[in-house]
Amino acid sequence: MAYFKDPDEVYAYIGRLFEQLAADDELAPKFRKANTIVQYRYREPESQITVKMIDGEDGQVDCGTTAMEPEVVMTMDADTAHRFWLGQVNVTVALARGQMKAKGPVAKILKLVPLVKPVFPRYRQILEDAGRQDLLEAS
Amino acid sequence: MDELSGPGSALGAGPLSGFKDFYQYASPTRVIAGRDLLESTGFEFQKEGASRVFLVTDAVIRSTGLVERVEAGVRDGGLELAGVFDEVPQDSSTDICERCADAAKGAGADSFLALGGGSVMDTAKVADALFTHGGTARDQEGFFLMPREADGMGRPLEVAPLACIPTTAGTGSEVSMAAVIKDHEHKVKLEIADFPLFPRLAILDPETTRTLPPAVAAATGMDAMTHAIEGYVSADWSPHQDARSLQALRMIRDNLERAVERGEEDEEARGNMLVAANLAITLALGSVHAMSHPAGAHFGVPHGVANAIHLPHVIRHNAAGGEEIAGRYRDIGELFDIHEPEIGDALARYLTELSASIGLPTRLSQVGVPEDGIPALVEGALGDGTTLLNPREMDEEDYAALYRAAL
Repeated sequence: MAYFKDPDEVYAYIGRLFEQLAADDELAPKFRKANTIVQYRYREPESQITVKMIDGEDGQVDCGTTAMEPEVVMTMDADTAHRFWLGQVNVTVALARGQMKAKGPVAKILKLVPLVKPVFPRYRQILEDAGRQDLLEAS
Repeated sequence: MDELSGPGSALGAGPLSGFKDFYQYASPTRVIAGRDLLESTGFEFQKEGASRVFLVTDAVIRSTGLVERVEAGVRDGGLELAGVFDEVPQDSSTDICERCADAAKGAGADSFLALGGGSVMDTAKVADALFTHGGTARDQEGFFLMPREADGMGRPLEVAPLACIPTTAGTGSEVSMAAVIKDHEHKVKLEIADFPLFPRLAILDPETTRTLPPAVAAATGMDAMTHAIEGYVSADWSPHQDARSLQALRMIRDNLERAVERGEEDEEARGNMLVAANLAITLALGSVHAMSHPAGAHFGVPHGVANAIHLPHVIRHNAAGGEEIAGRYRDIGELFDIHEPEIGDALARYLTELSASIGLPTRLSQVGVPEDGIPALVEGALGDGTTLLNPREMDEEDYAALYRAAL
C-alpha cells in the first residue's frame, strides 16, 4: 500500500518541504543556481509539484496544477520520493533501475543532489511535527 | 555507518567491497577481434539482421582509404550499401544526427554501420534511434527513457541493427549504451543512455588504427586508462567491471607506449589497445570525467588529453579520502609495480610521468585553460552525473582546488 493516501498528503509533507527550502535564506540561493524549473510527477497517488529555481528570482512552489513550464521533469512513485527525502534512495541506482525517470537537462538536477544532505532532517522534522510517526516508520 | 552516506543513501559514496545492495551489468554486443576483419564486415553484419547498410563516418577517415575497404567488405558479404554519411565533425551535434537519420531514411537503409571514433559512433547511435522511433535528438535525452513495452515499464523496443568499427582505441563506444552529442541551440551536451543503444556488433581490427597519429593514440589510450581506473574505484563499482578494468589495465600497461611510439609497425600493440579500450569502457566513472567534460565544452580540450591531465589529481584527492578507496588504488598500483604506502601520490606521479613520456600535456594551462575559467569548470563538474559516482563526495571547494592544482 502506498505511504500517502491522497495528493493532499503528498503536498502537506513533500510540498511543504519544497516550500521551506524556497524560503530558506541559506539553502534557497544555492538551489536557485540550478537556474531551472523542475516538475516532480508522482504516481500513487497521482500528484505533481513544480518548483522554480531561477537565479536572481524568488522561488516558487506549485502543488498540483501550475502555469509554470518545467524544463526538467522527474517521474517516480510518491513512495520513492518519500524514501528519497528520508535519505534512503541512491539517486544513481534509482535512475538505473527506472524507479526515477528524469527528462530534460538532468545535469541541472544532479548538481543539486550533494546539497540535499542537510535537507533530510527537515523532512523528518515535518513528519514528526505532523505526528506522522507511521510515515517515518513506513520506509 | 552514517545513514546518509552509506549504501543505498541519496548520495553516491558507499563501501567499495562486499555484496552490494544493487548493481546491474549488461554486455550484449557481439565483439569480434582479430586480423583482416574489415573484409568480412558484411558477412558478420548480416548475422545481426542487416541487409541495406548505411555507413556513418567522417572526412578524416574517408581520406585514409578505410571507407572503401569497409564498403568492399559490406558488399563481399552480400549486403547492399544504401548510402554513406561522412559529415560527422569531431564533436557531433543534434542537427548532424537528425540529418544522418534523414539521409538513412531517404536511402532506404535498414541498418547502420559506424566507422570512426567516439563522435562517429555516438552519431550513429542517436541517428539510429531517430531513424527507428522518429522525433528529435532532444526527445531522446536522458537515461533509460527510450520507448518500452508495457506503457514504458517493460522491455525496451529495439532500434535498427548497428555495427561499429572503432578507429581509435579509447572511447569504447562500440560496446557502450551511451551517446553524448552537443545541442548547439541550447549550448549543452545531451547524454542519452539505454539498452537499445548497445551496438549489436563491434569489429576490432588493428588495421583501423594503423595510421593513427601518435598524439591521438596517446590521448585515446589515456582515455581508456581513465575508464579502467575510474571504473575500478567508482562508487558504482561492480565485480563484473572490476574484472574488465583490471585486465584492461594489464593490457594498457603492456601496449600503450608501444602503440604510441611505433604503432604503424606494431600491429599486436594496436590490436591489444583496441581490446583494452573495449574492456575498459563503463558508465561507472567518477570525478575525472566530471572535470573533463566541462574542459571540453568550455575550452575544447580533447577528452583523452583532459582525462590524462585530471586523472593524477583526482587520484591524489580520492586516495586521501579513506583506506578503502586507497586500497582500490593499491590494487591498481600493484599492476604497475607500485607498492609505496602513499599510493595516491605514487600512482599519480607514475601516471603524470607516463603522460609526459608519450607526449601529452600534463597541465591545463598548456591546453589553453585560463585561471579565470575555473569557476565555469567547477560549475560544470558539479552538474556532471559522474560526480555522484566518485568514491569520495565532492563539493565546490574540492573541484576548485583540483582544477587549480591541474592548471
